[in-house]
Amino acid sequence: MITWVGRKAIAGYAYLAALATLIAQAVLDLIIPPRQGRGETFRVLLRQILFTGVDALPVTTVIALLLGIIIVTQAGTQLPRLGAGGLVGSIIVVTVIRELGPLVTACIVVGRSGSAIATELGNMSVTREVVALRLMGIPISRFVIMPRMVGMVLSMLCLTLYFDVVAVFGGYLVADAQLTIPLDAFAESVIRALSTTDVFMTAIKGLGFGSAVAAVCCYHGLAVRSSSTEVPQQTTRAMINSFVLCLLIDVVVTVPLYL
Amino acid sequence: MSEAAIIFEKVRAPMGDGDLCLEMDLRITSGEFVACVGPSRAGKSLMVELAAGLVTPQAGRVLVLGQDWSAVPDDDLRSVRLRVGVVLQQPGLLSNMTLFNNVLLPLRYHRGAMSDRHREQAVMGQLERLGLASLRDRFPAELNQGEARRGAIARALMLEPEVLLLDDPVAGLDADMVLGLKAYVEDWRAHHSLTVLAALRASSPFIEAVDRLVVLREGRVEADGTRNSIREIIPSALNRYIE
Repeated sequence: MITWVGRKAIAGYAYLAALATLIAQAVLDLIIPPRQGRGETFRVLLRQILFTGVDALPVTTVIALLLGIIIVTQAGTQLPRLGAGGLVGSIIVVTVIRELGPLVTACIVVGRSGSAIATELGNMSVTREVVALRLMGIPISRFVIMPRMVGMVLSMLCLTLYFDVVAVFGGYLVADAQLTIPLDAFAESVIRALSTTDVFMTAIKGLGFGSAVAAVCCYHGLAVRSSSTEVPQQTTRAMINSFVLCLLIDVVVTVPLYL
Repeated sequence: MSEAAIIFEKVRAPMGDGDLCLEMDLRITSGEFVACVGPSRAGKSLMVELAAGLVTPQAGRVLVLGQDWSAVPDDDLRSVRLRVGVVLQQPGLLSNMTLFNNVLLPLRYHRGAMSDRHREQAVMGQLERLGLASLRDRFPAELNQGEARRGAIARALMLEPEVLLLDDPVAGLDADMVLGLKAYVEDWRAHHSLTVLAALRASSPFIEAVDRLVVLREGRVEADGTRNSIREIIPSALNRYIE
């Protein structure tokens, strides 16, 4: 039993170290860009932002809007019973901006782009495209990993902030229609509840989740060796590990704030 | 003695999971066209992978253009890679790019200073010589095996390497394509200093273009020399690989 736990702990540590190495290498490639291949790398980055960020806007809008509506509907019906009807704005800040916004955005990004990255890189490994790139003198870390990681981090950050805004707007729609709270009162309630720390924490989570998801998905995609049956296996692992890591980061970022 | 482009120095490398090992001591002179032939599981692909630096030998060393792959510092690796073109059994064309963009990729990445017009001309020239110009906008999934392979050869030659390593370059090519590829490689060698090491699975007209044949069986070099010189010395079972 102890041996098993020890072996798992070592494997987990090695896994996190490998992810940290991927992230560190991507940061190095970003801040010390080589002379060669800037244009090509930038093209890959733009494609990643387009796919992860821009193409995800419709689904993010729908989910954020619905979530805002659900939360304010629940809060609007429950809080007045406790004599706390004025806390609707505070509820949406606490639940959406602090917690659900970054987490649900991470789920959207993992489901759409994380799985796509893991599958794409897995297929590239099977068809030996990754080896072909190496043989052409094109570094995988610069041409494949870094643009995907940067694209995902930027997209996650922007999508998280966009999600928060749309969810608050969805909340306002319910507040206005069902609870007859006027816009200025709702806005004042939200702004009063919102602190700089909330926005900062949201941004930190967006950055953390983006880096973690990108690193996990690139790692598992490139872990595929020679068989196409490995691709769905690694993609599943990438998605599950991404979710777990996002929750772990969330706990690490959030809990110290309330201690 | 002419300068050696590729040296297998007392190399020993395991072949797959079995007990067999590729063992060879071989020297390929600069500008030479060497084909390695033999039955399946003879170690031909492994020989190409060793020369490409994809596999590190268990013992001995492989020197390509004077560089030992396992000792090249990371900073210098890129410059060595640019001097060696490699096409493996799987062509490895990037599936999200058209054939044109695949062939253009090495120039775009490594020759940023070159104008777009010159790059396009160079790529189209290569594609036309290989009979692929009409397929320029097709994606790899829309190409057949022979077309993809020729596309990969065009890509490998875009940076005008000094060494070209080919693993089964005629697989999936019809008779006309093989002759076309042979003519293309001969023409390229006539105008550029190029050392070629090709692994060939079956006899084909492509073999007529080579300067020297290395016959492999179960990881051992059975014969090494010109086609005529080895014809008499190899076992009859291996003769069909060079005819």
